[in-house]
Amino acid sequence: MKRLLFFPFFLMLTIVALFAGDSKYIDSMQKHIHVLYTSKSNADLQQAVNSIERIANAEKTKWEPFYYVSFGYILMATRESEGSKKDPYLDLAAASLEKALALKKDDSEIVTLKGFVDMIRITVDPAVRGPQYSGLVELTYQKALSIKANNPRALALLAQMQLGTARFFNQIPTEACETANKALQLFAGDHSDNPLAPQWGKEMTENMVKNCH
Amino acid sequence: MKTFFTLFFPVLFQFAFGQTRISGKVTDAKGEVLPGVNITIKDSYDGTSTNAEGKFDFTTMETGQRILLVSFVGYAPVELPIHLEGKPVDLTVSLKELINQLDAVVISAGSFTAGEENRRTILKAVDIATTAGATADIAGALNTLPGTQKVGESGRLFVRGGDSNETRTFIDGMAVFNAYGPSAPNTPSRGRFLPFMFKGTSFSTGGYSAEYGQALSSALVLNSKDKAEMNQTDIGLLTVGSDVAHTQSWDKGSWTGKIQYTNIRPYYHLINQRIDWVDPFVAMEGNTAYRQRVGKDGMVKFYGNFSQTNFSLYSPNVADPALTQLQLYAINNVYRYGNLSYKQSLGNRWSMRGGISYNYNLNSLKINGSPEGENEKGTHSKIVFENSVSDKVELKLGGEVISRNYAAWKQVENPQQVVEQSFTETISSSFAEVEAYASDHFVVRGGARAEYNSLNHQAGVDPRFSVAYKPAEKGQFSFAYGRFRESAKNQFVRENNALNSEMAEHFILNYQIITNNRTFRVETYYKKYYDLVKFQYHGLDTTFQNTGNGFARGVEFFWRDNQTLKDVDYWISYSFLDTKRDYVNFPYSAIPSFASRHNFSFVYKYFIHPIRSQIGLTYSYSSSRRYFNPNVQEFNSNKTPYYEDLSANVSYLPKNWLIFYVSCTNLLSRNNIFGYQYSSTPDANGVYASRPIQQPAKHFLFVGVFITISKNKTVNQLPNL
Repeated sequence: MKRLLFFPFFLMLTIVALFAGDSKYIDSMQKHIHVLYTSKSNADLQQAVNSIERIANAEKTKWEPFYYVSFGYILMATRESEGSKKDPYLDLAAASLEKALALKKDDSEIVTLKGFVDMIRITVDPAVRGPQYSGLVELTYQKALSIKANNPRALALLAQMQLGTARFFNQIPTEACETANKALQLFAGDHSDNPLAPQWGKEMTENMVKNCH
Repeated sequence: MKTFFTLFFPVLFQFAFGQTRISGKVTDAKGEVLPGVNITIKDSYDGTSTNAEGKFDFTTMETGQRILLVSFVGYAPVELPIHLEGKPVDLTVSLKELINQLDAVVISAGSFTAGEENRRTILKAVDIATTAGATADIAGALNTLPGTQKVGESGRLFVRGGDSNETRTFIDGMAVFNAYGPSAPNTPSRGRFLPFMFKGTSFSTGGYSAEYGQALSSALVLNSKDKAEMNQTDIGLLTVGSDVAHTQSWDKGSWTGKIQYTNIRPYYHLINQRIDWVDPFVAMEGNTAYRQRVGKDGMVKFYGNFSQTNFSLYSPNVADPALTQLQLYAINNVYRYGNLSYKQSLGNRWSMRGGISYNYNLNSLKINGSPEGENEKGTHSKIVFENSVSDKVELKLGGEVISRNYAAWKQVENPQQVVEQSFTETISSSFAEVEAYASDHFVVRGGARAEYNSLNHQAGVDPRFSVAYKPAEKGQFSFAYGRFRESAKNQFVRENNALNSEMAEHFILNYQIITNNRTFRVETYYKKYYDLVKFQYHGLDTTFQNTGNGFARGVEFFWRDNQTLKDVDYWISYSFLDTKRDYVNFPYSAIPSFASRHNFSFVYKYFIHPIRSQIGLTYSYSSSRRYFNPNVQEFNSNKTPYYEDLSANVSYLPKNWLIFYVSCTNLLSRNNIFGYQYSSTPDANGVYASRPIQQPAKHFLFVGVFITISKNKTVNQLPNL
């Protein structure tokens, strides 16, 4: 009898412990993700990326830490002014993304980030890498959209890519602005049950739309 | 009481010793502190980042034998075993910088590398295609680099006083036997392989790796593109023909096919040619490339090329003392090339690559209806094992077999019969090479290549050695030495199967400085030739022996700048060459007719954003060349006028998927003379008649429209042009 009572009690304890563990994971992830979204210095970004990397190191079955490590390195690459120094960051971003993709195959958000890595690679040497990567980058965003049509980040980055192409060809970025507007609408309805789901990109798109008028 | 102790003492014990403080400092190899380094206890949440002074300090509940992981971008991560038992741990960690491909010293003596995106290279793959005057021919573009001599009537690569057969082309490491397409006598030929197929080109003008053999002067190493990522169809409409290509891509592989039809008849009616065509040049060519990923990191690549070319023309008969009699020269060429290669990582720092290539070339000629021709078929198989002993030491071991069969025939009169000569040669080789980085500033590469030739039963070992030193952040010195061998030309080996390989030794000293977008390079070399084939005349009989020799020495300069002027990219090359050789029918050591003392090129590219166009200009100059005038005593003593050419091209992109392209050579309308052809028999007054060897037409005008159809509208053929 005693034993029978003990069992549900034990089960409850385990569940509580599990939730506690998960909420610790979510809390600390959210803390570091906030730094990624708001920090202005590469030193702060590096700290946050390091912390998330340590979480990834311990939580080997979760895709989010690998995703945000990659995202952090992309941000650091965009802030690096010397072209040749961007590649090492992007190499780390790509490597971490591979691990995320291995855990969650064909995820729209992860695929989008893959396109982001290649898009920043173009900026290292636009004349040479542009022709090589630009088609591929658009294709990657389109793949992300085919998995999840209402992914605002895939659409927002696609708009950025279209803007860059229009600028290169000295054209009016009508198509880019249309895409950005659509992305903005998607951002309005962008919510997820996952508290760690990516939420970035809205501000960047708003700025782009402002410049469209 | 006892129970209390046994129950709680371990708990207390754990409390006391459960927490361990770990602190320390992280520096680079020079002792400079590194902030932002990630410090982690492997498989745990615990860790921290170093502060601005490179220091770290944290406590952990983990116990026992654990691993501390120290990692930072741009540095090799370090794993340290630590024992956690409550006693504070204090560590000083030094991280080693990863060899940064963009900044590290590289072996530059003798080599021009184009297209590897992670290296600072002198030429990009796209540069080869957009150089004016080159008309998208690889040799044409490389002829604007130092170390080459312009030989206008040939179109081939002549490197540092070497003949055109001394440059060998390799595709994905596999040898190509007949890299140039057929051409009429004294008209330039084009390379069989289009630049758009390759992601990287390495053009070595000497001192190359032990992996490459059977080339006396130069190795042109072409690396084909990897798997294509997009489906697309490309259509090209040109003044001399048209082409269509399609690429299909899937998850693990891709396939590309291209069919090209060339017919110069319409063009030849528009622009006057000096050639007396009967049937103008018609060619059908097909290319296919297939790539498939195998497993995690294996890659199978297949590349195939077939072509068929026909033309006929009248050319002066050299047996005629006045050179006025014409003979009908007709050619049919069939060519096939297949190349299958495989790459696989073997784990444990080993990787292997290997492949097999098949070459088939059939030249059927009819001279005034009398047939003659030659046929060469062969295979090259190769396997290479590479081991990254550490991130600073790379070991390469390999073996290869080149086996080829050559036959030539000719119909002779009195009695009428076909005379045939043929041989089969198998060359087996093995090579080993080590490349070691002492630091970012110093690298050494040493190796050797052993070869055995089944036809002349000759065996030999050739050493190769290079070293590069970078004293400061920018600028580096490089030295290369090597011994090279190559079988004698087919037309000599078929006469005497026992002929030895021809030999060359290279000594090269190079200084190169590359800043962000500017390159300066100066190189000097000495090249020694021996065992060259020489004819000995004994009355009507000729014997062939390896008694010839020669040398070449020179200085070369290269400057490229795409920074100073906005949207402008230009480069300047100058080569000085001093060479003499005593070979083939030379009576004594003399300057060969393909050599010119001074070669200069200026290549200019300007992108005009408002009209979405790129214009290109190329100016080339070569000083006079020697030719043999049988009417004078001294051999190869007459000189041609200098050579000069100014070419221009314009590419215009009205839409993202559409390109218009126009190019024209010889804007100065100069009548370049490459030499003179003499009658083989003197006229009644004892004088040998002559005619100049000239360009087939004053200008070569090329107009093309390139259309790309894909789901993706931003794709065009610009990367291919």
